[in-house]
Amino acid sequence: MNVVTRGMRNAFRNATRTLSIVIILGLSIGLSLVMLIAHQAVQSKIATTKSSIGNTVSILPIGGGTTLSAGGALLKTSDLNRVKSIAHVTNVNELLSDRVQPQGTNDVGVPGAPPRTDGTTSLKSPYTVHCNDGTCSGVGRTILCLPSNGCSNGHPPSDFSLYIPIVGTTDPTNPSNIYASSITITSGNAIDGSKDTNDAMVSKAIAQKNNLRVSSTFTAYNKTLTVSAIFNSDTQDGNQTIIVSLPTEQRLTGKTDAITSATATVDSLENLSSTVTAISNALYSLADVTSDVGQANAALQPLDSVKNISLYSLIGAVAAGTVIILLTMVMIVRERKREIGVFKAIGFSNIRIMFQFMAEALTLTLLGMVIGVLVGVLGGNPVTTTLVNNSINSINSGGSTGKGGAPGFSTIQNIHAQIGWSVILYGLAAAVIIALVGSALASFFISKVRPAEVLRSE
Amino acid sequence: MLHVTDVKRMFHAGGIKVLAVNGVSFKVDQGQFASIVGQSGSGKTTLMSLLGGLDKPTEGSIEIDGKDIAKMRDHSLIGYRSKQIGFVFQSYNLVPNLTAMENVMLPMEAAKVPVRKRKERAVELLRAVGFTDDQMKRKPGKLSGGQQQRVAIARALANKPSLLLADEPTGNLDSQTGKMIFDLLKGLAHSQRTTVIIVTHNLSMARQADMMFQLKDGKFIEEEG
Repeated sequence: MNVVTRGMRNAFRNATRTLSIVIILGLSIGLSLVMLIAHQAVQSKIATTKSSIGNTVSILPIGGGTTLSAGGALLKTSDLNRVKSIAHVTNVNELLSDRVQPQGTNDVGVPGAPPRTDGTTSLKSPYTVHCNDGTCSGVGRTILCLPSNGCSNGHPPSDFSLYIPIVGTTDPTNPSNIYASSITITSGNAIDGSKDTNDAMVSKAIAQKNNLRVSSTFTAYNKTLTVSAIFNSDTQDGNQTIIVSLPTEQRLTGKTDAITSATATVDSLENLSSTVTAISNALYSLADVTSDVGQANAALQPLDSVKNISLYSLIGAVAAGTVIILLTMVMIVRERKREIGVFKAIGFSNIRIMFQFMAEALTLTLLGMVIGVLVGVLGGNPVTTTLVNNSINSINSGGSTGKGGAPGFSTIQNIHAQIGWSVILYGLAAAVIIALVGSALASFFISKVRPAEVLRSE
Repeated sequence: MLHVTDVKRMFHAGGIKVLAVNGVSFKVDQGQFASIVGQSGSGKTTLMSLLGGLDKPTEGSIEIDGKDIAKMRDHSLIGYRSKQIGFVFQSYNLVPNLTAMENVMLPMEAAKVPVRKRKERAVELLRAVGFTDDQMKRKPGKLSGGQQQRVAIARALANKPSLLLADEPTGNLDSQTGKMIFDLLKGLAHSQRTTVIIVTHNLSMARQADMMFQLKDGKFIEEEG
């Protein structure tokens, strides 16, 4: 037997006491693990949510529409040049959005609205609408079909066709131009967004509807355009759109220098808020400047609260565990003062005796760790869910957001905490540290035991 | 073998200086059995602690086989103590959760003796003090006072020390068992040529030693051979 095995055996000298210590320690370690699991789950959710926020800033002219034909104010290229010079802005995608009506057809306007002035195109729209009780819908549009806008019996006229969106852009392959999250060139080559040419990119759906291939031609605004590329996107909005370069669209529409919207890209999320402010200041009365950061912060508020609670509870639980093992070891050392004196008298060094007590503390702590892992496995997920729900409810009832709250609450509530190997290893490391710190003071007492004095007190 | 010269040990108690051992000098040869007698508070246990290197004298020298342990550093003293000095205490001081055998093996572990040799030596010593194989496996709580003291003696002899110090080894035993332990120690001194110094307040027992020192107020008052 050596000091380590003797230390381990000593941990079981008093069965009742060992059981009590191990249970208390186990609960403390278990609470630490539960809080660590909650902290990690919440931190991971915050990171995921933040990473889903784009580092882009939306710039729309005040009083303007999202398309040229909707009318309203426009921005100018010179306005956007000011934005490009702002610190942390890495790119500005400028858009001039419009729509063209297939020749010989009419879309259904809004009742009472002025007549439409859209350009025309030789292309046919790949999509149509379905009507029910005077309401027609399709491709994200809902049309209230009344006699005043040319409908009869709740159906559009026979020459009805949906218009085809056309967008001029400085960044033709950016999926956000066409309300999509991905854009894939299936044939041909992407156009250059800075050059004024008669080239266009059309969606696969438009190409199929109109029997177009790369190098095929079609007309828009009474000009002939050549298909440079055919693309596919992940939305119907995207798949009904024609993309041309910004200068081309400005020329075709006769709106030289006009911009209907722009998107600025910021170098990092950390600089997003300050850059939004800087752009707002630069375009003061001209544009609405927005980003997702404000909404995301509101949505993440409950998670931040849980993150703090779990962190403080984790620190508290680890401290409690350390104090428990420390006081236990101090009690044991004081109790065995005479035995330590005998060990010293027969030739054991302080270090070897300390190792024996450290082995004892480690044994108690590892046994506590077994209970702690069980508590962590069973309690991690329910405790995390309860903390998150309580935090959301508390914020809702506090009135900082309405019921249903900030956007993203439904996904934020959907949080799942799991105990992984990394958590167990962290727990194990914490347990070892607790045992070592806990036996440190005991070691100090050991070094102070003078065999002559304890043996004299017989 | 043991040469003590003008040893003093002073303590500070409540601001008062107390000379627990006051200029003690004596000499004991190899294999001799010496006894120290004295009333409670006469300085016996303090003197034993000094002889065993558990405490250091304020003045004087304690030479064992020519080495002055009073001048040794703590680190060296621990090693020296584990190999050269054996202790037997009045209340046995066995480790309660270890068997008799494991208790005897402890000093050999401190002296880094290989495990196999520890076991052989422990069996040899326990048999020498009259233990059966079954008794060797018992923990102290399952042994009588006399048996526990015999385990303590076997433990003290584990590393074949040149000096064995026994502090009131018969103090907790009945007279018959006490006599048996006393005879055992005396026999060991002569048969194994181990110098044994025993502290006792039993004058008749002390007189049976090869040498007897009488301690009063930290000083030897009489020496009998």
